[in-house]
Amino acid sequence: MLRIAIIGCGKIADQHLLAIQRLADCEVVALCDRETLMARQLGERFRIANVFGDATEMLGSARADVVHITTPPQSHFTLARQCLEAGCHVYLEKPFTVTAAEAAQLVNLAANRHLHLTAGHNYQFTPEMCRMRELVAGGFLGGRPLHLESHWSYDLGDASYVGPMLGSRQHWVRQLPGQLFHNLISHGIARMAEFLDDEVEVVARAFQSQHLRQLGGAEVKDELRVLLRDRLGTTGFFCFSTQLRPGPNQFRLFGPTNSLVVDLISGSLIRCRSGNYKSYLTYFVPPLRSAGEHLRNSLRNVRDFLSGRLYQDSGMKQLIELFYQAIRANRPPPIPLREILLTARIMDEIFGQMGAATPPRPAEPQLNLSR
Amino acid sequence: MPASSVIPDHRCLVTGASGFIGVQVVEVLLKQGEANLRCFVRPSSRMKRLQEVIHRYDAENRVDIVAGDLLSRDDCRKAAADTTVVYHLAAGFDKSFAGAFMNSVLTTRNLLEAFREVGRPGRFVNVSSFAVYSNLNLPRGALLDEASPLEDSPQERYDAYAFGKLKQEELVRDYGQKQGVPFVILRPGTVFGPGKRDLTGRIGVDTFGFLLHVGGRNQLPLTYVENCAEAIVLAGLKPGVDGETFNVVDDDLLTSKQFLKAWKRRTGRRFSVRLPYFLAYGLCALWEDWSKRRKGQLPPAFNRRRCAAEWKGNRFTNRKLKERLGWQPRVGMDEAMEAFLSQFDPATS
Repeated sequence: MLRIAIIGCGKIADQHLLAIQRLADCEVVALCDRETLMARQLGERFRIANVFGDATEMLGSARADVVHITTPPQSHFTLARQCLEAGCHVYLEKPFTVTAAEAAQLVNLAANRHLHLTAGHNYQFTPEMCRMRELVAGGFLGGRPLHLESHWSYDLGDASYVGPMLGSRQHWVRQLPGQLFHNLISHGIARMAEFLDDEVEVVARAFQSQHLRQLGGAEVKDELRVLLRDRLGTTGFFCFSTQLRPGPNQFRLFGPTNSLVVDLISGSLIRCRSGNYKSYLTYFVPPLRSAGEHLRNSLRNVRDFLSGRLYQDSGMKQLIELFYQAIRANRPPPIPLREILLTARIMDEIFGQMGAATPPRPAEPQLNLSR
Repeated sequence: MPASSVIPDHRCLVTGASGFIGVQVVEVLLKQGEANLRCFVRPSSRMKRLQEVIHRYDAENRVDIVAGDLLSRDDCRKAAADTTVVYHLAAGFDKSFAGAFMNSVLTTRNLLEAFREVGRPGRFVNVSSFAVYSNLNLPRGALLDEASPLEDSPQERYDAYAFGKLKQEELVRDYGQKQGVPFVILRPGTVFGPGKRDLTGRIGVDTFGFLLHVGGRNQLPLTYVENCAEAIVLAGLKPGVDGETFNVVDDDLLTSKQFLKAWKRRTGRRFSVRLPYFLAYGLCALWEDWSKRRKGQLPPAFNRRRCAAEWKGNRFTNRKLKERLGWQPRVGMDEAMEAFLSQFDPATS
């Protein structure tokens, strides 16, 4: 039986507890929040008696095997280091750390102490992402991915998050180097990191949407476009937007033969196969095949829902389950540490370029329409 | 509406002052000549309506506006400095339990602490909600008043707002008993009026793309926003009611069928599907059981407790409010409905 503790009793802690409750052979033995009232309310709702206001005290008395850290990112490094030094395996919510240097220190510390460490990139473990991984491993793309596209969106209509963040320069999101992006883009970057080599060239541009400007967004930027290219020539495009509707959450992989589209909003995996069709069949057959793919996904989701396999946040449960299995069997963690470090490095680079002076806009092309 | 103050030379603080009820509370206070008024708002608040009220009463010099976050202890100290009466209307509408708790309880704790430390605590008026009650074990048609049972399982009701409000009330009582902060708790029913266009959930649900009208004969605990604001102001100024709790509902309450009929006639929206209460209860019970069996695969958004709380149909009373605070609903139900519905007229829209 694994003994689990959670540090940070805000909104995301509920999701962790619900996911852990679905798993066998583990028990949440302690909760901790600097704001003891928060720890108490969570303990009361989930019937967990041991609540603490201090992480040191909790680590000293709870004898936890694994600690989930679900606090704001600024405290991730210090708390994770403290937990690793206390001999606990650590599940660290996204963004893993504030900087890549901190991420590297934690990875080294975990390796030196033979402890497991993972990042809260749970969207990489949704059913459709897992099926995508199986197809890629089975050679569906016809080789390694040549181009990746990751679209991630966020709705500024969530006033409970955006209101306080825009209202105060002291809000923890505003204190991060990448501000709004820092807290939101990890998932979209991490899934690209899985298919990229360690050396990646990054070109990033960030700007503020008209919508955010109207909301009084001050210096906060909410639109981000990133181009990536690794040493092996795989290219990538990342788009974060608060404006696009319907808000996309998609990952596309293009190979030399076929390509895949993972749509995390609808829980779909679309296989796009190359094919040469004669004449007008080009217009008739591919749309039918595409419709068949969508129908297949829909039926699969209905079946999985009725059989109890499909539920919200299944990615988190899957990641936690695999992480615990890795701990028990002393196997490599579900997310290779290389990917966590690469994600952190790419994010560092993006935020570094955001801070740099915006290059002058190219002159408008002069079109000569006269004949 | 004369009211004698608990403390002479008092200074009032209104939190959530730019909100739907908050603006009306400020208006009532200015109307009765309040000389020292502080309004606490979020920096991101829409200030237009509040500023219009202040301007209408030529009160720019009498009203001090403080922008901040009640989760910040420093901001709370700025808000509470030298105040004698706090009208705490700021509310957390976060859908998550943790968020609702944080925005209801931690904010209230910070404000109470600041009130003790840098205020002159005369009275803390805590604006709560009818959501704190549980009528699960009350028969249909039974009277729900201040002595009725409170919800003992908001998690099971899947009602984060009720959870936050229940815990907020607990905290205020605790500060009253242990720290000696005088308090009054008000529980408004369904507050309506111009500026709030949504139909109350007590009429039905529109989750499925159309309006499912549940029940019909159930009385709505309505209170018109101006009447509600006057009750809140009285609760801060009336002597001899410390530690009391008051429900706020108007006279001549409408049933959900009457309310919906008037709303449909005025908005031109005609389509809704009626679902009898017993059938709604059965469906909610099935949903709840499925959710439990499947460990939350479906969130228990529909359940027995919520069904009872929203649609069971109880009677409500404002007798205590009238007897102890001397409150009378100044705006009658017909006039209130006309004011509410007029916002849907094409010219107004």
